[in-house]
Amino acid sequence: MARLTVESLEAGYDGVQVLRGVALEARGGEFVAVVGPNGAGKSTLLKAVAGLLRPRAGAIRLDGERIDGRSPWEIVARGLTLIPEGRRLFGPLSVRENLELGAFVPRGGAVREETLRVVYRLFPVLDGKQRVLAQHLSGGEQQMLALARGLMTRPRLLCLDDPFLGLGRAVVDAFCDALRAVRDEGLTIVATGQHVRRLLRLATRAYLLDEGRVILSGTGAELLASEQLRRTLLP
Amino acid sequence: MKLAAVLLVLAVLPLLGPPAYYLYLFSTAYLFATLATAWNLLAYGGQVSFGQAAFFGLGAYGAALASLHGASPWLTITLGAALAGAGGAAVGLAAGRLNGAALALATLATAELLRGVALNWTALTGGGSGLVGIPSVPSLPAIPLELGGGRVGAYHLSLATLAAALTLSAAVLRSRAGLALAALREGETRGTLLGLRPLPWKVLAFALSGGATGLAGAVYAHTLGAVEPDVVFGRFFSIAPLVMATLGGRSLLGPAAAAVVLYLVSELVFHPLAPALHQLPYAFALIAVTLVLPAWRRTP
Repeated sequence: MARLTVESLEAGYDGVQVLRGVALEARGGEFVAVVGPNGAGKSTLLKAVAGLLRPRAGAIRLDGERIDGRSPWEIVARGLTLIPEGRRLFGPLSVRENLELGAFVPRGGAVREETLRVVYRLFPVLDGKQRVLAQHLSGGEQQMLALARGLMTRPRLLCLDDPFLGLGRAVVDAFCDALRAVRDEGLTIVATGQHVRRLLRLATRAYLLDEGRVILSGTGAELLASEQLRRTLLP
Repeated sequence: MKLAAVLLVLAVLPLLGPPAYYLYLFSTAYLFATLATAWNLLAYGGQVSFGQAAFFGLGAYGAALASLHGASPWLTITLGAALAGAGGAAVGLAAGRLNGAALALATLATAELLRGVALNWTALTGGGSGLVGIPSVPSLPAIPLELGGGRVGAYHLSLATLAAALTLSAAVLRSRAGLALAALREGETRGTLLGLRPLPWKVLAFALSGGATGLAGAVYAHTLGAVEPDVVFGRFFSIAPLVMATLGGRSLLGPAAAAVVLYLVSELVFHPLAPALHQLPYAFALIAVTLVLPAWRRTP
């Protein structure tokens, strides 16, 4: 059971500060939703957590150990995997090859066959399309492959950046079931995105991010009922 | 299997008794096919080299120097390839964080730098006039084919070099390394998010590409009997493999096939018609690939 803590995190891009002291926490087995309007810093937060962005200040800890400033591959090796926005598959490679690449990291490689069985059970459609190129999959299948490939690294903590973007209702339903299933196995999940209601219904803990700061936190249900959430998201 | 059959047919071609000129042309075509195959080992991982001559020259000079100090040709060829492989690993380590145009310039500079060293370190390299008197390769009693001096020998040696490069390339492309390189080519950041550390794979690709290129350079030194800085570290050995392999695509046999076709068209069709313009096919190939067939180039 992995626990992520983010303390007074400041991060941004060349000359633009995006995160202005974000603090949040994800305890073992929790589903944490981070919601907020466009430009609030949701993606930046996940990029910093995954090591794609070096924070300017603050700390990011995985089970107490500092991971900020480490390389993405070191962070994956410690059990934290980010499934980036827009899926980022290897288009000209097959479904199977995409999955194999997830198992390159030792923690994934050691249990490769077992994880393959798990993800094929989770997404049977991928089992039937092992040799199909990733770029020939439908949008929903591609998102499933992105999640499956992330699971192949055997994360203890999974971050998802806008996982439902551009997906139809039925696919989102299937996807939420899959996320619930992996969380029930003990995986800690941190997810951001535009599908606020969906995410908050899944969430055991939730944060509302606005202009680089956490302005509200609570359970998913509490945020759903909050007037401040409505005001921030529907100005 | 198909590859072995093709190589076997090519190996017995000299039995038909073709004119010596054709044997020479084909030997040279196989040499370029080796270089294009080696170049593709880098391109497969998304690394574009404009300086393969660096490794070709290291192989050629390594073999020549070892040979002139008394080592047997089989040892010198191994040493030349190993030297070029080490050079490749060094370039990979130094330039592994570069991509695109920066990497292209760094590799180009490496080849030019080594050419300058070879031109000026006269005591070791013989300076601008290079080294001469490198013996040809003796035939092996275990192999029924002639490998030594003469056109037929050079033909077989060149073909064997190509076979070695293709075997290496096949092994890499089908392995874990091939998958890692393909992933880094398609998106380095995506790869790192799966725990893939780019640098070791890039260094490996440079070492193998350098080694295979150096192998061709070493064989070249023994076939010609002489090495010269402006030839073996020359820009043609950097640019020709790039053009050929780019036309051939990223498959196992594409670069080699494109190299043979381009070289033979250039020498057999264009050279008799317009000797001064016989390198036009390379230009046409490059234009065709970059402008007309971007999709073709992208096929894995």
